[in-house]
Amino acid sequence: MAVRKFDLIQGTLDLLVLKSLNTGPNHGYGIAMRIHQLSDDELRIEEGSLYPALYRMEEQGLIESEWRVTDNNRKAKFYRLTRKGRAAADAELDSWLRLSKAVTRVLRGLEQGA
Amino acid sequence: MKLRPPALIRRLLSIVKWRAQDEEMDQEMAFHLDAITREYVRGGMSEADAAIAARKRFGNVVRHKEAGHDVRTAYLDQFASDVRSGLRQLANARTFAFVAIVTLALGIGVNTGVFTVVKSVLLDALPYADADRLVRIHGGAAASTQGRGPLSAGTVEEIAARQQSFSSLAAFVDVSIEAVYGREDGPQIITSAWVEPGFFDTLGVAPLLGRAFRSEDAVNAMVALSGGAVGADTGSPVMLSHGAWARLFGTDAAVIGREVRINGIPRTVIGILPPTFIAPMGDVDFYLAFDRGPVVANPVAVRRSQWLGLVGRLEPGVTQDTARREVERIWADLVREYPADNGTLRASAIPLRDAMVGDTRRPLLVLMASAVLVLIITCANLAATILSRALSRRKEFALRAALGAGRARVVRQLLTESVVLACAGGVAGVLTAIIVLDVLRDLAARALPVHADLSLDSGALLASAVIALGTGLLFGVAPGVVVARGDAQRTLRDESRGSTEGLQSRRTRGMLVAGQMALCVSLLVGAGLLTRSLWAMAGASIGFEPDSVLTGAIQLPARDYSDPESRFQFRDQFEQRLRALPGVQSVATATSVPTMVRQRSGVTLEGTPASEAQPFVISTAVSDDYFRTLRIPLREGRTFDARDRVDAPPTLVVSEAMARRFWPGGDAVGSRLRLGPDTNSPLIEVVGVVGDVRNDRARQDAEPMAYRSTRQIPAPIVTLLMRTQSDPLALTRSVERELAAIDRGLPLQQVASLQGVLDDGLADRRLPVVLMTAFGGLALLLSSMGVYSLFASMTAAREREFGVRMALGSRPRAIAGLVLRQGAGWMAAGLLLGAVGIIVVARLVRELVYGVSAFDPLTIGTAVAILMTCAAAALLVPLFRATRIDAVVALRSE
Repeated sequence: MAVRKFDLIQGTLDLLVLKSLNTGPNHGYGIAMRIHQLSDDELRIEEGSLYPALYRMEEQGLIESEWRVTDNNRKAKFYRLTRKGRAAADAELDSWLRLSKAVTRVLRGLEQGA
Repeated sequence: MKLRPPALIRRLLSIVKWRAQDEEMDQEMAFHLDAITREYVRGGMSEADAAIAARKRFGNVVRHKEAGHDVRTAYLDQFASDVRSGLRQLANARTFAFVAIVTLALGIGVNTGVFTVVKSVLLDALPYADADRLVRIHGGAAASTQGRGPLSAGTVEEIAARQQSFSSLAAFVDVSIEAVYGREDGPQIITSAWVEPGFFDTLGVAPLLGRAFRSEDAVNAMVALSGGAVGADTGSPVMLSHGAWARLFGTDAAVIGREVRINGIPRTVIGILPPTFIAPMGDVDFYLAFDRGPVVANPVAVRRSQWLGLVGRLEPGVTQDTARREVERIWADLVREYPADNGTLRASAIPLRDAMVGDTRRPLLVLMASAVLVLIITCANLAATILSRALSRRKEFALRAALGAGRARVVRQLLTESVVLACAGGVAGVLTAIIVLDVLRDLAARALPVHADLSLDSGALLASAVIALGTGLLFGVAPGVVVARGDAQRTLRDESRGSTEGLQSRRTRGMLVAGQMALCVSLLVGAGLLTRSLWAMAGASIGFEPDSVLTGAIQLPARDYSDPESRFQFRDQFEQRLRALPGVQSVATATSVPTMVRQRSGVTLEGTPASEAQPFVISTAVSDDYFRTLRIPLREGRTFDARDRVDAPPTLVVSEAMARRFWPGGDAVGSRLRLGPDTNSPLIEVVGVVGDVRNDRARQDAEPMAYRSTRQIPAPIVTLLMRTQSDPLALTRSVERELAAIDRGLPLQQVASLQGVLDDGLADRRLPVVLMTAFGGLALLLSSMGVYSLFASMTAAREREFGVRMALGSRPRAIAGLVLRQGAGWMAAGLLLGAVGIIVVARLVRELVYGVSAFDPLTIGTAVAILMTCAAAALLVPLFRATRIDAVVALRSE
């Protein structure tokens, strides 16, 4: 996945999308905006690559979609977490946190030892 | 690949919705691009710059869309690759695929065909409203084997007056009568039937157009009873069947109220029946209504003429059983009250469906059982074939398992193969079913009840397909599961080092083959018994010579031939003209074709009190040359001649069986008796005794028969019997020319050779024979295939062992003996099991067997011999191959 500032670790995009949908249904543009905002623009993804990921997660039954009218009175496809998606998001987050903590600990140790 | 059914369906749908999906992606991405563009415009960019910047941030739209499609269709690619691999596997094992697909096609096709017939006859609803509430009341002679006879008008009247079970009852004449429909372009033969005005109401059928009969539409029933000879047949209204309406009037609604001429008498069309309606008496074009009152009022005809069918609709809350008991009770009273009329008769009520299914129930159940047997053989064969293939691939699977393939992976591959196979077999099965039904339609039309509709039944197709395909899938996947679960290492070791097939797999296959042979021999015995019965029936002497005799019928319209003299003149003239034709040996006329005589008359010997119940004999009227034409031998006295004038004392010729029954002392000739219901009728003198004719061919003994002369009883129906020198049908045109020369308005009906008429008469007997023989043949084919594949895989599995034996000096004959010993055990087991099957089959077909024991040793011996011959032929090929093994090649192949 092409990234401006950081390369995204494989599979992280899914987690980001799932978590960003945790607060409620959103369309593709909205999801991209949330990820930018929450990361203080540190994470910039190529926004089009969101869509294959969304379709895949829909096939897996993690999210579902429906066409709705936005606040600006325009038609957009909104994605929503399914129950399965919510569980997957929690599990993924948990393992991500463990992984990043572990990696951080290792890297800190190496820094101090150096 | 997880394929939950809903997901599968959703995915299949998504292929259909491909374009919609494409559009959705376009819209969705366009919205996103637009949103970014506007974000940039709000930030102060120009529209054009903003659009370019948005595209840059979004990335390549086409590439993202393609990626999206790939995600959506990933499962499709997987599926396609599975199917491709399945097809590849089958192409590599062409014999296996062929055997499996043919087996499936035959199993599914044949079963669907037979299930369809059985369902249409035994299960489908009759074309009447609330058909389960309809009851049929039959009469008949107490001593007769033909249990479904007509009732007298008096009995109908009494039952109607005394019963409390029925909300309505309606009588009808239980035959359709050929009649002449006169129209501008010449006369046409149509069928007509007499019913009481309430007939259609009772059956719960409303006319499609116009109205149903009302009581004022009815004609004096004496007309219907006498075939138009007695009573005034005034121009009564008629109702038309939908078929006749379409055929004769092109479904023109204006036909209501139009005048039509039937048998020369103008009548008005008042109603058209719906297309689904089929009368209990079969296909009828025109219905006429009668009023039974005049017959009830006639002291002779009232109780001594048995001619009416009766249907009733049950009162709400009354069961079939209650109605049956009530009819029996009323009949017991009627026998007590009128012993002279009813003493030798019987009456009973049965559900209308049973009455219409009639004698076809037993043959159909036999067929059904045979079809199920074939289906079981099919499944066993399929199982054996697939199993032996899966077993021979055990090493491959074990290798895969050893290399880390999960059980799911192995099962999935097997499943895909089985599904590909099942689909091919399923398609072939549907095609076979269509062909089978086509054949059945030709074969069975005559033998099945009138309401049977032989169109492909989706339920039957589904049931057969599910069973056959299910077996395929089950046996396709089971070995994979076993292998995957089992100890891969041991299998690998066994299959490569140990050079023979595993004991367990061989036992499974052997049992399947033994079972097949048992079922096959049972079917063959059943088919053999029925075939021999048919031969016995068709071959046994029927008392006359049917070869080279032309038959046909002429209905003399009551209007033009009202007096007996004119009817006799017609016969006489007609016979004389035909005799003059070249190639004609002799000509006779009668009221009906021999073996098709329906009429029974009560006999009262001279000196017997009139109050005594009358025994019944078959009676018919024949012309002078009848016995000579049919070569029925004269035993005693004389046959009819010019002496038997209409005003001369009435005469009678009796059959030997009748002479034996009534005059055991041998003094038949010269004795006198009364024939028919009227106890005051003139006495008839017996002038001759002739050889017996078997009127009912399902009976081995000939029933007593009485012949009157057509000189004295010139009936309006003239049945022609003409003996010719060569092919009788070749003279049809000449006969029609002569007929037209006498009366241009009379068509010659039912033209056929007498042999043809007799063959048709056996149609309902032939159906189970042909079908069961076909099933037997099918079972034989399938079993032979089973035996072949058993031996083929047995020898293939031991190829290496045989190679070693050959290398060590064993001779081909010894190898052959080895194989045979191994296979013979299973074949013997099959025959032993078959003995049980034969007992079951013999019980099942006992009622249909004629002139041969149900345990006929010849039939059983032949069946076993045929099966053994086919099995031997099937095992020869693999056996031959086993003895030709090149020891060096076999050993090197390791």
